[in-house]
Amino acid sequence: MKVAVIGLDCAAPDIIFNKLKADLPNLAKMINNGVSGKLRSCDPPITVPAWMVMATGRSPGELGLYGFRSRMSNSYNGIKIPTSQDIKFDKVWDILGKRNKKSIIVAVPPSYPPRPLPGLMVSDFLTPDKDKEFTYPPGLKNEILRDFPDYQFDVKFRKPEKKKIIDEIYKMTDTRFRMTEKMLKEKEWDFFFMVEIGIDRIHHSFWRYIDEGSHLYENDKEMKDKFISYFKMVDSHIGKMLEEFDDDTVVLVVSDHGAKRMKGAFAINQWLIKEGYLKLKGGTISQGASLEDLEVDWAHSKAWAWGGYYARVFLNIKGREPEGVIEKENVRKELDLLKEKLGSIRGPNGEEWKTIVFEPEERYDVVNGDRSDLFVYLDDLSWRAAGTLGYGTDFLLENDTGPDDAVHDYDGIYIMYRKNRKIGKVIDSSIFQIAPTILEIYRVRKTYGIKGKPLEGVEYVE
Amino acid sequence: MATDKKYTTVSLPTPLFEKIQEKIKGTGFTSVSDYVTFVLREILTHGSDQEAFNAEDEKKVKDRLRSLGYLD
Repeated sequence: MKVAVIGLDCAAPDIIFNKLKADLPNLAKMINNGVSGKLRSCDPPITVPAWMVMATGRSPGELGLYGFRSRMSNSYNGIKIPTSQDIKFDKVWDILGKRNKKSIIVAVPPSYPPRPLPGLMVSDFLTPDKDKEFTYPPGLKNEILRDFPDYQFDVKFRKPEKKKIIDEIYKMTDTRFRMTEKMLKEKEWDFFFMVEIGIDRIHHSFWRYIDEGSHLYENDKEMKDKFISYFKMVDSHIGKMLEEFDDDTVVLVVSDHGAKRMKGAFAINQWLIKEGYLKLKGGTISQGASLEDLEVDWAHSKAWAWGGYYARVFLNIKGREPEGVIEKENVRKELDLLKEKLGSIRGPNGEEWKTIVFEPEERYDVVNGDRSDLFVYLDDLSWRAAGTLGYGTDFLLENDTGPDDAVHDYDGIYIMYRKNRKIGKVIDSSIFQIAPTILEIYRVRKTYGIKGKPLEGVEYVE
Repeated sequence: MATDKKYTTVSLPTPLFEKIQEKIKGTGFTSVSDYVTFVLREILTHGSDQEAFNAEDEKKVKDRLRSLGYLD
């Protein structure tokens, strides 16, 4: 038995299982004949750490990964972008490698720099550029660039030309699938795991063309058609892969998190200033200024935050931060007060928000790495957090930095399928079940400390 | 374990050893050990255990993440 994992970053249940299902014959066939359902992501439901949760079966707390940046040793401004070297647990392909199984791994974040494995690896969208060694073994890079000179890790958004980016995303995804299909055909493999990031980019940038309920909705038939054709192209590539896979291959189409319409961005540091938690040393603040470019009066600041699809709030604690002010014995009290205040933030029209605030210890058994003191999902993730400042209001209708129409949602998808099996079951599951499912199919009975259970539907495909 | 010996032994499957022997005939490599050492050095120096990003790489990745809305 083999397992082939096709990861579609950000693929959302409502899009794949409902809205576009009729346009996607291959995915529809897999859904109708396989086992599928919502796949609850981890907390936070973000690309990094979610793919590594899937690949290792470990929680973000164990991995010590809470997003696209990690804080460096309690500093105010020192950040680090996670790399493959920060993953201290075996991925499923490492475990299978120890059992002489060869893997093909394509673009699973974070995988730069590529780590050695029995098999082949192409690193992910966190690769700086094509001049770098982005494959294992190194020689694979030349092969890829010879056959696919236009290969791209990601697209870069330039706001004024946003509409044009959809064609670039299409090309990037199409090329990655063609490259991967060639590898699957020509190279020897026992396990396969790829991630396509383009779906995430399409959702974030072009959601407004398919969601009439969005405040950003634009009735633009050309863009809506392009959105749909992108998914059709992905579906046809999945169809090509299905033709190549034999009867003994279990195919898993999975996503790391879902998506929903973005209602806006909330300027969290501005709010912290108003509430008396954060103080700047004065001077004018230009619109969109980043906190690290401003002079913070740390000696009079109790807290600050990072923006993103969720907010990370840090307390300025004496003995921990360089200029900490909160005494250790007051931390509990301050945390409780701030949690209450964050939880009662109301929307721009005074409407109630369903904001979720938690301390990492409330969600993870183990909390490694430099984590924030509070994790904040503003209005249940519908509002992203803007860490930047200098706005006339705390409620921004557009993202402060990126191209956003959509935010992340808790539920991604999974479809488990094996040729010539007619199952047709729907069972909602969790991202923590993917690694155990893969290991179960290969009959790896040692748990390696992974706590999750295989997907309930695995018995139907074995 | 630290050792004073300059060389040590690793095991290769015999068919692989023979394949390498065949491959290096008429090349500058005088032995399978020479060739294997060369190849491994190549892989390790191109490999990944050095610092993942230099300052310029990190800037490139950060700029991209910022344009995507992940950093502020």
